[in-house]
Amino acid sequence: MIEWLTTTDHKKIGIMYVVSTLSFFVIAGVLAALIRAQLAVPGNTLLGPHAYNQVFTLHGTAMIFLVIAPFGIGLANYLVPLQIGAPDVAFPRLNATGLWLFVLGGITVFAGLATYGGAAATGWTAYAPINEFFVGTGAGQDLFFIGLLMTSISTILTSINLLVTVFLFRAPGMTMWRIPIFTWEIVATAVLIIMAFPSLAAAFAMALIERHLGGHFFDAAYGGNPILYQHLFWFFGHPEVYVLILPYFGIVTEIIATFSRKPVFGYVGMVIAAFAIAALSLGVWAHHMFTTGAVSNPFFSAVSFLIAVPTGVKFVNWIGTMWKGSIALQVPMLFAIGFLLNFLIGGITGVMIASPPIDYQAHDSYFIVQHFHYTIGGGSMFALFGALYFWFPKMFGVKLEEGIGRWVFALLFLGFNATFIPMGFMGMEGMARRVYTYPAVGHLPLLNAVASAGALIMTLGVALFFIDVLVSIRRRAPVEDDPWGGYSLEWMTTSPPPEFNFKTLPAIRSRRPAIDSRPGSV
Amino acid sequence: MRSFVGLFAFAAAFGAVIAVVYWFVAHEEAAGTALLAVMATGLAFAAAYAVVAERDARLEGDDPNETPQMAAGDDLGVFTTNSPWPVLIALCTLALFTGLLWSPLLGIAGLVGMILCFWRLGAESART
Repeated sequence: MIEWLTTTDHKKIGIMYVVSTLSFFVIAGVLAALIRAQLAVPGNTLLGPHAYNQVFTLHGTAMIFLVIAPFGIGLANYLVPLQIGAPDVAFPRLNATGLWLFVLGGITVFAGLATYGGAAATGWTAYAPINEFFVGTGAGQDLFFIGLLMTSISTILTSINLLVTVFLFRAPGMTMWRIPIFTWEIVATAVLIIMAFPSLAAAFAMALIERHLGGHFFDAAYGGNPILYQHLFWFFGHPEVYVLILPYFGIVTEIIATFSRKPVFGYVGMVIAAFAIAALSLGVWAHHMFTTGAVSNPFFSAVSFLIAVPTGVKFVNWIGTMWKGSIALQVPMLFAIGFLLNFLIGGITGVMIASPPIDYQAHDSYFIVQHFHYTIGGGSMFALFGALYFWFPKMFGVKLEEGIGRWVFALLFLGFNATFIPMGFMGMEGMARRVYTYPAVGHLPLLNAVASAGALIMTLGVALFFIDVLVSIRRRAPVEDDPWGGYSLEWMTTSPPPEFNFKTLPAIRSRRPAIDSRPGSV
Repeated sequence: MRSFVGLFAFAAAFGAVIAVVYWFVAHEEAAGTALLAVMATGLAFAAAYAVVAERDARLEGDDPNETPQMAAGDDLGVFTTNSPWPVLIALCTLALFTGLLWSPLLGIAGLVGMILCFWRLGAESART
């Protein structure tokens, strides 16, 4: 216990990130199940309005701040030093500090549930002025801000650490243009985090000053401006969307190249596209604010459309990597293909709502809920499960059961689409998001019932994944160091890797050192 | 270091260009322009710092022909395996933040604890 509490080994820290994010994922999943149970039928009284507000706030907050983003960071903690041939990260103690700030920050957010008045209930965006005046936003709202401030600091510290590690600790011969795409995506993500997260920390600190020290930054009655909060929040918030997706682009690239038995198609294009997405994402924040009438809609619309170009480049490269490859449809590859299909829907609906006239119609409706769940849920979450199946043998020396994994994929893919396809139609029928009930008009009862049934199927899929983990660990079938025929450096060490990662480092002569070292390679 | 400088300089230039474009297109909207300008300045500072402070840095990872045998004997420093201070620093941070809102005594305890932890961590770092 003490060993794990005090460890500074990047692998143990990475594993603790993964375990803690999966724990928060289970809680967020239970909250999502509560949302769908409440909305399964019109006029349901399972949850009251204030309880419902807390549930969807904590669900969104946990999924974004405590699951999807930190899982990517945690996986990077584990993998980046291995992929570049480094013995550890540049600042191991800083790394451990980041982990514990994240874990304590996450617990602090949920601790709001134990306070009088309950947890934060303002949505994950916690807009001003409702973060100050909304009924019931007591200590729970403060704990929300404190917890997320801690996770923000943690994320910034870890990003600096990862950047320094990649730039200064690469093994001899591992030039920047030889590092795996996952590591490149982490570099782009880390730069984005360093640029965007201070804005969030500023917004939350200012909100706390308003709540406790008499500040009036966002209070129009005293000359403040609530739109300023939205600027600060979304200057973080839209890059955050790419913090939530770029690492997963990297995961999918690694999986597709490995299971297609081909080098990454368009490696340089992939890297440039990642940085183009990161750069453009810093100029689109106010497309979340089209309907305020206080921003330049043409500017933000144009830049938002532009992001589709590098994202399209990535899709071409993924398909190019698979093209004429010897594709093995094992579980990680199934999740990668699921990612491609779902993320495509999220991307296309994103292009639709980048157009202000459409956004005016869709804003705050279930169409938006469908859109971002297809990008973050159908995209990142599928890649997350793909990563777990792909790197589990490396982390724990145990391969997850392939047969159960196929069922996990099938249930998640079916359940996910059954849940979220109806939401697009709900939005078009005018159903607003963040409402705890709705009238029995049009197709809304049927669409909501289907969505709730889909959520139940997804829940079964997630439960089956944890059963797979338990079954596989119990069986402990022997696994090779490289069970998939991977190409990057992490597959050239033992599973799990030893302290300081490599007993001996190979000569690195290309982007695929593991392939170079195999007998018969030229 | 060239890759670091190139990446940050390019990002800073992008930030500066988009800040200027935004200022004119968004009818001189101050909040967004300030955010973009601060971002560009920060990135430019990082690139300039790397140029000035690390101009002579030579990294084995930047040489495509370098091998582990050629780099043998180079000292990467000592990587610590355990330290009690990170988890304590995180606990003190939580105490400081919650104390600031509800309990000055807890806040002071958190601050003092944090300073002590950093002090000990610095000493530990100097030893290893």
